[in-house]
Amino acid sequence: MKILVGYKRVVDYNVRIQVKPDGTGVVTEGVKLSANPFDDIALEEALRLREKGVAEEVVIVGIGPADLTAHLRNGLAMGANRAIHVTTAEAVQPLTAARVFLKLVEKEQPGLVILGKQAIDDDANQTGQMLAALWDRPQATFASKVEIADGKATVTREVDAGLETIEADLPAVITTDLRLNEPRFIKLPDIMKAKSKPIDVIELGSLGVEGGDHLKTTHYAAPPKRSKGVMVKDAAELVATLKQKGLL
Amino acid sequence: MTESRLADLTARVPGLRLLTELTDLIHYGRDWTRRWGPAPLAVALPSDAAEVQAIVRWANERQVALVPSGGRTGLSGGAVAARGELVLSLQRMNRVLGFDATDRLLEVEAGITLHAVHEAAREHGLLYPVDFGARGSCTIGGNVATNAGGIRVVRHGTTREWIAGLTVVAGNGELLELNRGLVKNSSGYDLRQLMIGSEGTLGVVVGAQLKLTDPSPPAQTMLLALPHMDALMEVFGLFRSRLKLQAFEFFTDVALKHVLAHGAQRAIDASEPYYVVAEYDALEDRDEQAALLAFEEGVREGWISDGVIAQNEAQAAALWRLREGITESLAPRKPYKNDIALRISAMPAFLHEMQALLARAYPQMEVVWFGHIGDGNLHINVLPPEDMAQAEFLAHCERVTRLLADALQRHGGSISAEHGIGLVKRAYLDSTRSAAEIALMRGVRTVFDPHGILNPGKLFE
Ligand SMILES: Cc1cc2nc3c(=O)[nH]c(=O)nc-3n(C[C@H](O)[C@H](O)[C@H](O)COP(=O)(O)OP(=O)(O)OC[C@H]3O[C@@H](n4cnc5c(N)ncnc54)[C@H](O)[C@@H]3O)c2cc1C
Ligand SMILES: Cc1cc2nc3c(=O)[nH]c(=O)nc-3n(C[C@H](O)[C@H](O)[C@H](O)COP(=O)(O)OP(=O)(O)OC[C@H]3O[C@@H](n4cnc5c(N)ncnc54)[C@H](O)[C@@H]3O)c2cc1C
Repeated sequence: MKILVGYKRVVDYNVRIQVKPDGTGVVTEGVKLSANPFDDIALEEALRLREKGVAEEVVIVGIGPADLTAHLRNGLAMGANRAIHVTTAEAVQPLTAARVFLKLVEKEQPGLVILGKQAIDDDANQTGQMLAALWDRPQATFASKVEIADGKATVTREVDAGLETIEADLPAVITTDLRLNEPRFIKLPDIMKAKSKPIDVIELGSLGVEGGDHLKTTHYAAPPKRSKGVMVKDAAELVATLKQKGLL
Repeated sequence: MTESRLADLTARVPGLRLLTELTDLIHYGRDWTRRWGPAPLAVALPSDAAEVQAIVRWANERQVALVPSGGRTGLSGGAVAARGELVLSLQRMNRVLGFDATDRLLEVEAGITLHAVHEAAREHGLLYPVDFGARGSCTIGGNVATNAGGIRVVRHGTTREWIAGLTVVAGNGELLELNRGLVKNSSGYDLRQLMIGSEGTLGVVVGAQLKLTDPSPPAQTMLLALPHMDALMEVFGLFRSRLKLQAFEFFTDVALKHVLAHGAQRAIDASEPYYVVAEYDALEDRDEQAALLAFEEGVREGWISDGVIAQNEAQAAALWRLREGITESLAPRKPYKNDIALRISAMPAFLHEMQALLARAYPQMEVVWFGHIGDGNLHINVLPPEDMAQAEFLAHCERVTRLLADALQRHGGSISAEHGIGLVKRAYLDSTRSAAEIALMRGVRTVFDPHGILNPGKLFE
């Protein structure tokens, strides 16, 4: 079986996001960029399935500008067999990403597509679901445990009420939640080896997928700062202050 | 008698917060060393410089010893109050007083934690670069008093480099504004520099003007496994010549065993006697290429056997935990600590001599090595065997430290790199400082603190 994995680059989770002064976006120059954490988890899960003998090949997919190569090399160093780089200079929205994956699925015929439940840049949480619909295959989202046997995926999902276990016929789309696994470290010797692994470069337009914005973002702003707390002397002052604010 | 001294103090400083409960006396009477039973007279928590000044004047008149106290994360017993001293804790003086963007100075009260300073600097888009594991509890006052170093010294130097001004209540009760934030000030003795590293024996630091700098560029973090000791300094030389290092730290397999037992993540498959955490600027692909080439060269030379690289900040934090978690993981065992410094060039020869000496001296004890190897700074922790009484263990360690001090003297090193002399290394000060130097240090102390009320017994008898 072949597994296709989404591998997006985003501003590192631990970087404090700064909005550009003119409100046209967030600052990405000079800040640490890393793999979307959920995609790291997706790749880790695919690698574990390959190590268990469930899959033979793990292919990572990145959609983005030319300088995405270094990022994809990291995924190859982590253990993916090869990478597909779909090039575009424009920002990619979920529907575009899902259409790209559909084209790649048709070409690659994977038994499983593993994506992050969301990317932490726009937090859209849509690509996996959209792909499943376009592909007309089952989806198992927010996975915290995955088992593959007899052409089926048994997936434990993290849902509001707790955990839910479902079965999906393969091929299917799985999206990962945080607790699915702990991604491995990249071994430095593997970075050398990754240099000789193939990266297929495909121009977005040549897939027959239209890019462009389905949604227009008009303005970016930082969340309002929480105002400082007020110290009160005693219970009486607390009551008085609450009354004054109309809260009592 | 005790009562009357404290009654006098509260009469003179109305509103002074004073703690006398036994649990408070224990809590405030000790630092991270656990060798001395805490027994302070009381704990004063002044709220401003005027209160500190009044306490110091009272102490002079009533001949009460004071122990200036910050976060008590100190590892040298400097903040221990075991002989009826009044603990003078700066804990409540923890505010940011101001920031000047033109001067790039952050003005703070001395009781502020290092972590809070980092946060305040970050709010202004800048960096206060002194950093180490105790950041959440240690204070600027304590950092100044010990000239704290930490994990960024390779790049940014010690606390001394970052102090543009100090507000101090000297031992004689005078309030001093030292250097007032000036970049250049060629007007005589720089008393600010004397305060830095004075371990609470010259004055109480009540405020500081801290220099801030540009944030570090994005960094990459590696963990390397090294097959032998000579490789440590070779790899350091190699990496320093190829990369812009932000940190270069090492630890041994024994240290690794303890942090792993304390819950850290293993991160690397190889089992080797030495490990290095290296962090360097990684702005562009070029930097990453340079790092990989350096790694390859280290492997070819037989200095490195394996390595991993953090893919994101969370993994970088996991690698750092292997180094920064060591002190905490050993604490329950009450280790005997050495914190020594050498010139980097003297390190290889010294390491060999040391390894032989420690193997001979501590055949039946676990010795844990780690530290800021890129600064010529080693931490050597000795763990007591389960069945050995503490007194016997300490006596043995003191005998070995004498041998260590002799070796350091021969190699031109220091018995304290960054933790201070405090109580723990007092007996060995003369291995690092000449008799003439010590005499002058005592003279300086008498000028600042004529009645010897500030931290008596620390640094020297
Ligand atoms: C986990 C851990 C990791 C550490 N790592 C490092 C490291 O990498 N590098 C390093 O240098 N240290 C390290 N330390 C040691 C310690 O954190 C530092 O020495 C720190 O600077 C002490 O600050 P503090 O506020 O806790 O001082 P305290 O322990 O309260 O006091 C230390 C000394 O400073 C004096 N003092 C405190 N406040 C004042 C003041 N306002 N005015 C005058 N004198 C004062 C005290 O009298 C005492 O002599 C580490 C400690 C721990 C527990
Ligand atoms: C054209 C010109 C440009 C200058 N530009 C600058 C400038 O940009 N920045 C700047 O800081 N200064 C500048 N100076 C001033 C001067 O050059 C410096 O102060 C310099 O450091 C003095 O060095 P010197 O050897 O001439 O000392 P001297 O003039 O001989 O002595 C200066 C002081 O140092 C003491 N001294 C000298 N040698 C010793 C010693 N071995 N041990 C102890 N004390 C000693 C002397 O007693 C005296 O107090 C300039 C001077 C000139 C003429």
